Amino acid sequence: MRRVVVTGIGLLTPIGSGKEEFWSGLIAGKCGIAPVTSFDTSAFPVHKGAEVKEFKPEVFLRRRSPQEMGRGSQLAIAAARMAIEDSGVEISSYERSRVGVSMGTTSGEPQIVERYNDIRKSEGLDSIPKELPPKYPCHVIPSNVAIEFDLHGPCLMIPTACAAGNYAIGYGFDMIRIGRADLILAGGADPFSRITYMGFARLGAIAPDRCQPFDKNRQGMVPGEGAAILILEPLEAARARGAKIYAEVLGYGVSCDSYHMTAAHPQGDGAMRAMSAAMRESGVSLQDIDYINAHGTGTPTNDRVESLAVRRLFGEYADKIPMSSIKSMIGHTMGAASAIEAAACALAIDTGIVPPTINYEVPDPECDLDYVPNQARRVDPRVVLNNAYAFGGNNASLCIARCEN
Amino acid sequence: MSMRIVATGTGIISSLAAGAGDFEAGLYAGRTGIGPKTLFADSVPGGAAGEIRDFAPQQWLGNKGLRVLDRSARLLCVAAHMALESSGLSQQRPAEGDSDLGLVCGTMFGSVHSITSFDWSGLLDGPNLVNPMEFPNTVINSPAGQAAIKHRLRGVNSTISAGLVSGLYAIHYAMEFLRFGRAQALLAGGVEELCEESYLSCKKAGITSPQDRIRPFAPDRDGTVLGEGSALLVLETEEAAIRRGATPFLEVCGFGSSHDAHSIDTFNVRAAGATSAIRLALLAAGIEPDEIGFIVASASGSRTGDAMEAHALENVFGKRLAAVPVCAPKAAFGESLGASGALLAVAAGIALQKNLVPPTAGFEAGEPGLRLSSSPQPFEGDYALVNCFGCDGNNASLVLKAAGSKQ
Repeated sequence: MRRVVVTGIGLLTPIGSGKEEFWSGLIAGKCGIAPVTSFDTSAFPVHKGAEVKEFKPEVFLRRRSPQEMGRGSQLAIAAARMAIEDSGVEISSYERSRVGVSMGTTSGEPQIVERYNDIRKSEGLDSIPKELPPKYPCHVIPSNVAIEFDLHGPCLMIPTACAAGNYAIGYGFDMIRIGRADLILAGGADPFSRITYMGFARLGAIAPDRCQPFDKNRQGMVPGEGAAILILEPLEAARARGAKIYAEVLGYGVSCDSYHMTAAHPQGDGAMRAMSAAMRESGVSLQDIDYINAHGTGTPTNDRVESLAVRRLFGEYADKIPMSSIKSMIGHTMGAASAIEAAACALAIDTGIVPPTINYEVPDPECDLDYVPNQARRVDPRVVLNNAYAFGGNNASLCIARCEN
Repeated sequence: MSMRIVATGTGIISSLAAGAGDFEAGLYAGRTGIGPKTLFADSVPGGAAGEIRDFAPQQWLGNKGLRVLDRSARLLCVAAHMALESSGLSQQRPAEGDSDLGLVCGTMFGSVHSITSFDWSGLLDGPNLVNPMEFPNTVINSPAGQAAIKHRLRGVNSTISAGLVSGLYAIHYAMEFLRFGRAQALLAGGVEELCEESYLSCKKAGITSPQDRIRPFAPDRDGTVLGEGSALLVLETEEAAIRRGATPFLEVCGFGSSHDAHSIDTFNVRAAGATSAIRLALLAAGIEPDEIGFIVASASGSRTGDAMEAHALENVFGKRLAAVPVCAPKAAFGESLGASGALLAVAAGIALQKNLVPPTAGFEAGEPGLRLSSSPQPFEGDYALVNCFGCDGNNASLVLKAAGSKQ
C-alpha cells in the first residue's frame, strides 16, 4: 500500500487565516476568543465565542458567487484554495477523477436553518425562497469544493460531529493508500451558529470568559468556527514533484462509547480504544508517541476523562508525553476542530515546536499530565497523536509522523 | 485487495413494507407505498409521499428510551434491530456489546427537522427555555449515535453524507473498513425521515412531481415523490462470516464513484460522471459490462436525472442495454434520499437471491432502450448493478452478486 503524506495546509481560524498567521499565533499563545458578533447574545447567559474575523469569501471563490452557498462552503473553499497554493500542486496536471474531497462537520450549514427560521417567523413558510433550503444538506460543502476546483474523484462529507475532521482525513488517507485517488483535499468546516451556541449554553457547557483546558478552575468550552484542508498525496508523488512534506499520515483509530449522546464514558474506554487502534494501525508503540494534541475542550468532564484515558493507556510513560489543547486559543471549532488540530500536528512535526495550552494556572489532581502550560516548547516530535471526541460517543485518533526514509 | 465482503443480514423499513420478507413480497407484487401524505399536514397540507404509516418503533424496540429519539433515530434503530436479528449476530453477542461491531449510516438531510425545531423553539421562547435534551438530536450523526447506544455497537460509528448517493457511499466506506481489519462486522446503509424541511426544500426546488406521481423513465415523468426509511446490510469478510457459522447471501463486489463538478443543483445530462461511476464499479468488481445480469436504477422520475442515467447506461452497455432487465424500485417506496442507495442495494440483493428482477411499480411505457417491466423479469448473468446519482454531481454505483455463486 502507498504511503500518504501531507503536503499542503490551508486554514481559517479564530486566531488567523493561512498557515503562517495561524502557526505564529499558536506559538505565541494568541487567543481568538472575543465577544460574539455573528448574532445578538443579550438573551444568553454567556457572550464570548471564537469567530473567524474579517473573512472575505469573494477573495477565494473564482467560479461561483458567495451568495450561492452557505458560510460553511465558503470557509471550506477558502481553506482548500490556501491548501492547494501552499502545496504547489498543479491540479490541472492530474486526472480529475483521481482528485477528491473528504470533509467533516458537526452542523454543516446551520446558518441556512437559522435564516429559514427567521423568514418563517417574520413572513411565514411560503416566503422562504426556493434557493435557500437546498444550500443546507451538509454534502453540499464538499460538492461546492469539487465544483470550485473541478475535482471529479471521491467526494463526501463525514458529519461525525466534533471528531469529524479526523474521520475525513482518515478516509482521504484510505483512498490514497488503496490507490483510488492521487490527491485528496481532506479536512473540516463549521460556521459559527446560534443553534450550536444555544445548545451548549443550555447545557451549561460554555465558559463565560476564557477557555482553560485541564486547569482546576476550568469552566467550559467556547464555541468557535473555522475550516482546515490538508493536501494528502502519495509519498512517491510528493517526492517526484519536489514537494515540501510536512508529515506522513500513519494511521487512525475510531471507536464508539455506546454510552451517552453527550457525555464521555467515565473511564475513557472509547478514547483508549481509538488511541490504541490508531497506534496499532500505524505500527508504533506507546513509547514512540512524542506529543498528543488533546481534544481538550475545557469542560470539566472531557478534560478529566481524556487525561484518565491517556494515563490508563500510557501508564507511567504518560508523564513523558507533552499534551496540549489549542482550543485554549482557537476555541472549539466543532467539525473543523480536529482538522485544524491535525494541521497543528503537522506543523509541530515540521517546526519541532509544540503549541501550548494557554490560561493554565492551577493544576487539577484529576488532570495530572504535562499540558505544555502557557509556553510553546521545542520537543522535536517524531510521532504524534491527534485526539478528537464527539457527540454520539464518537472517538477518533489520528497518528501522524515525521516523514523519514 | 481481494478480500471478499459479504452480507449476512438485512434490516429494512420503508413505506412499502417493514422487514425484508414483506419488502420482497411488496416489491414482486408491484405494489407501492406511496400515498397521500399525512405527516406535518398542519404546516404543509396535501401532497403525496412514501410515508411510513402508523410507524410504531416500540414493536421492535420496546418503549424504553424511545422518547428522546427523533424519527430518523427511530427508523435507524428499527433497521439495526432487524439487521442484527437476521444476521444471527443478536444471539452471538456479548452482553456488554462488541468493540468490533459498528455502524456506517448514510443520510442526506440528516437531523434537519430536529435542528430546525430546536432553533425554532429558541426563537419563540428564548435561548434559556429550549429543552437541552433535544440538543443532541441536532447533530447530523445523532441517529447513528443513538443506534450505537440502543444496540451496544462499540466499533466504528460513522455517518456519511454524499447527498442522494449517501447510502451507497456508506456501504463502500464499510467495505474498506472491513478490508483494513478495523471491524469484524458492520451495519451499513442509510436513513432518511420524511419531514417538513426536506419536503419543502424539494418541493420549492421543483424536484418533486407537481402531480404527485413517480414514474421513473416514463416519457411523461415530471418529478419525484419523496419517501423515507432505513435500510442496513450486515457486512463482514467472507472469512469472518463463515467462522461464526453465518450464511452469507450477498457479495459486495465493487464500488465506483465520481463527481461531475459542474453544478450543485442540476444533473449533468451528458452523463460523464454517471458513466464513470458505473465503469469504476465494474472495474473494482473485476468484471465486464456483459456480466451484469440486471440493473437497479437510481431513476426517481426526474426529467433530467432519469435521462442522464439512461444516457450513462447506453454509454456503458451499448446495444446490449435493450436486453438487460432494469428495475426502478423508487417507484415502490419514493425517493428516500440518503436511504435510497441502501434500499436499492437491498432490492438488488433480493433479486439476486430470487433469480428474478422485480417489476417497476406503476410501469406503463419506458423510454426506448430500457427494459423495464410491470412483471418480474428473468435475467442472465451473475451480477447486479445498483446506481445512485445525485443532482449535486455526486454519482455512485455498486456491483453485487449472490454469495457462493460461481466466481
